Amino acid sequence: MVSLLLILVSAVFVNNFVLARFLGICPFLGVSKKVETAIGMGMAVIFVMTVASVVTWFIQYFVLIPFGIEYLQTIAFILVIASLVQLVEMIIQKTSPVLYQSLGIFLPLITTNCAVLGVAVLSIQKSYSFLESVVFALGAGLGFTLAMVLFAGLRERVELCPVPNSFRGTAIALVTAGLLSLAFMGFAGLVKG
Amino acid sequence: MLTAVLCLGGIGLVAAATLGAASKKFAVEVDPREAAILDALPGANCGACGEPGCSGYAKGVAEGRLAPTLCTPGGSGTIQAIADILGIEAVATTPQVAVVLCQGDNEKATSKYRYLGLSDCNAAQKLADGPKTCPGGCLGLGSCANACPFGAIEMTPQGLAVINRDKCTGCEKCVSVCPRNVIKMVPKDATVHVLCNSHDKGAAVRKYCQVGCIGCNICKKTVPEAYQIENFLARVDYEHHEDAAQAIEKCPMKCIHDFSTGYPAGSRLATTKPETSKQPAA
Amino acid sequence: MSLKTFAGGLHPPDSKAYSEHKAIEICPLPDELVIPAAQHIGAPAEICVSVGDLVKKGQVIAKPKGFVSVPIHASTSGEVIAVEPRLHPMGRPLPSVVIKADGEDQWDESLEQNNPENLDAEALKKILWNAGIVGMGGATFPAHVKLSPPPEKKIDTLILNGVECEPYLTADHRLMLEESERIIDGINILRKILSIDTAVVGIEANKPDAIEKLTAECAPHNITVMALEVKYPQGAEKQLIDAVTGRQVPSGGLPMDCGVVVQNVGTAAAISDAVRLGHPLVERIATVTGPGIKEPKNLKITIGTPLSHLVEFCGGLEGEPGKIIMGGPMMGQTQLSLEVPAIRGTSGLLIFRKGDFSTKPAGPCIRCGRCISVCPIHLQPTTIATYARLDMVDEAENYHALDCIECGSCTYICPATLPLVQSIRHIKGGIMAKRRKS
Repeated sequence: MVSLLLILVSAVFVNNFVLARFLGICPFLGVSKKVETAIGMGMAVIFVMTVASVVTWFIQYFVLIPFGIEYLQTIAFILVIASLVQLVEMIIQKTSPVLYQSLGIFLPLITTNCAVLGVAVLSIQKSYSFLESVVFALGAGLGFTLAMVLFAGLRERVELCPVPNSFRGTAIALVTAGLLSLAFMGFAGLVKG
Repeated sequence: MLTAVLCLGGIGLVAAATLGAASKKFAVEVDPREAAILDALPGANCGACGEPGCSGYAKGVAEGRLAPTLCTPGGSGTIQAIADILGIEAVATTPQVAVVLCQGDNEKATSKYRYLGLSDCNAAQKLADGPKTCPGGCLGLGSCANACPFGAIEMTPQGLAVINRDKCTGCEKCVSVCPRNVIKMVPKDATVHVLCNSHDKGAAVRKYCQVGCIGCNICKKTVPEAYQIENFLARVDYEHHEDAAQAIEKCPMKCIHDFSTGYPAGSRLATTKPETSKQPAA
Repeated sequence: MSLKTFAGGLHPPDSKAYSEHKAIEICPLPDELVIPAAQHIGAPAEICVSVGDLVKKGQVIAKPKGFVSVPIHASTSGEVIAVEPRLHPMGRPLPSVVIKADGEDQWDESLEQNNPENLDAEALKKILWNAGIVGMGGATFPAHVKLSPPPEKKIDTLILNGVECEPYLTADHRLMLEESERIIDGINILRKILSIDTAVVGIEANKPDAIEKLTAECAPHNITVMALEVKYPQGAEKQLIDAVTGRQVPSGGLPMDCGVVVQNVGTAAAISDAVRLGHPLVERIATVTGPGIKEPKNLKITIGTPLSHLVEFCGGLEGEPGKIIMGGPMMGQTQLSLEVPAIRGTSGLLIFRKGDFSTKPAGPCIRCGRCISVCPIHLQPTTIATYARLDMVDEAENYHALDCIECGSCTYICPATLPLVQSIRHIKGGIMAKRRKS
């Protein structure tokens, strides 16, 4: 139980996927203009990550290893993740057209989102048990959402400030992201791993 | 080798089957014309059509709720494209641009009081009808420049809005935001304008502005068909504006300006010469 | 004893020494009076005289348009020499009646004198309406409207506003000292209209002589006089209610929503004249003061007197005028010229010389939060002003921009001299426009 909690805390704060591991930066920068969209994107990523880690865990231990074809790991995982994302995209388009519109290009981009593939590969690398890998994926998704929402909140505030012309747009967003990452460095050493 | 192919193929098949089922279950009806129209629109989301963005307008046109001619920024090219998609006849429209009918910046026109408030023309206008003595002149606080979705309006250091004719798409955002109605829509091929918006009598105008129209009639006497005088203010008749330029030299207040010779002095655009294209690129 | 007050607010130097010990003088009539048709909140009155008409003092020259509107009266006898737009204290020409005074200053004979004992509430309200009584504190809200709460709103307290929290102004102070019997009579009439007994006169502690005098005179009438801590904007309706009763007017509500009616002491005095003497609102007490005036004075002025005439009577200008303000320095209206007339809401004329006031251009907000700590409504002025700059109407509405009373405390305290009140007022306009649209 304690180890599960440690995995969760570590994935959310200490080794936050976005701010400490630099994974999944493109939606982090791209869909973080408004808190609402950031939450929507975060939810989608939590869902995809958790389901992907479940499915890839099964594929790894029931298909790839028994048949001795671990060298197909990457392509198999990408295949599974891609179809999962496609599924999520369809569901969102049907249930929430507004969210679908605001996520735009970044929804299909989750397909090749390094954070999602990263979770799957990392949990195999660390030889997590099934439960551990689910908790790890959930933690990673939560950490991603946390970073997104915090960053979106900051960007909404920055929007109100008279930013110098040369800093407008992506420049100030990257500066803000850097400062946020610095803040997350404060968690380093809280949990080892 | 065979196991690898079979395994990967199997995973692929399962995924494909799931997606196939999902696409049936979560199917969303989209009018293909809507997407095509959206592609044809300029994508500036300026709101000139009255819809919040281009996608709303595309939807409205595809549903037949909105007319296909409302997208002024796109000009006739866009209208033609939409008409092709919908399979209807396009109606030709003359491209329009906005022009600020004033040259009285803070150096050339006087103020009633010293304004230190919010840099917004509408806010200033609420204080005793704005700091400028002239009731129609540009306040120069830049509300139009902030409203312009295309960055086509430049505020000169002396406090006057100048509209870049090449960047202006005619969306009329600035016209609706200006509290003094000094921005007017004019045909793009007309380059000569009377840059004044004061209907006061000549003597009054002379008191507060060095470049205001005093309604002296000289332009109308020079080129009778090209000018109209209404309430002490000359206007170019845009139906017959071909020879309007001949009166420029005669105007005693120097308030007639030909944009084909450049922008008014004081503007950063003054050194650039606008393209005098008759039609904007589609 | 600690004095009652409200939360928030600030202490600008009160600068009342210019005029607080000067007895009220009667300002002589000018040759020409300019009486605008718009002198109150609500629909402007409709002018009903034409050029050449001879009018008597107190005769109606403009009729009210609708319930939230009051008639305008000739403030002296004479001839109407023009009916045209003239420069109004609002800063633009508005329809006005210009009267050439005949010097007789004769009252209209048809004006009736009444004994309030013999009249019921409705008849009294009718008299107030016909007399054009409006709030004399400066807001000029028609008194009969305030005194007609819908039946489901139970009124239990009448508060008389003798706070005069605006710096420089001393007109209400002098009125309370010199004409307290008119005020007390007015309070009795108001209590009769509202059929309530509780009446409280709120006075700030910087007017001890007025507190002493009114306490003594009010005691037999069962009217309480309450001394309040000196703080701006205590004279604002909602802050005064908070200070006196501890009740809070709900967001978007009116004083009547918490059972209170507030009237200025000057209004009470005018009500007494309207009922007992039949005199409509044609004169008022105003303070002419400021470093730009040779001899600051408290004057009884005739409505429609040009400001230049008042300045002349007060010994003329001292130095070069830099800013002319009608009303107090915090909420008063800056004037373009001395040729505008004094109107019913003119509680004072304040003239600063060049260099007496700051003209520092606005700098960036340094987020010191002073505006938030002084805001008597507990808003976040700097946040709302930011939304105003970016025209973010919905966000500003969520921050309750519409509750702003425009008291000017935030602008006064701002170290970056940001035009906070103007920004909030601007976005208030935007919010109202949005509401009208939907």
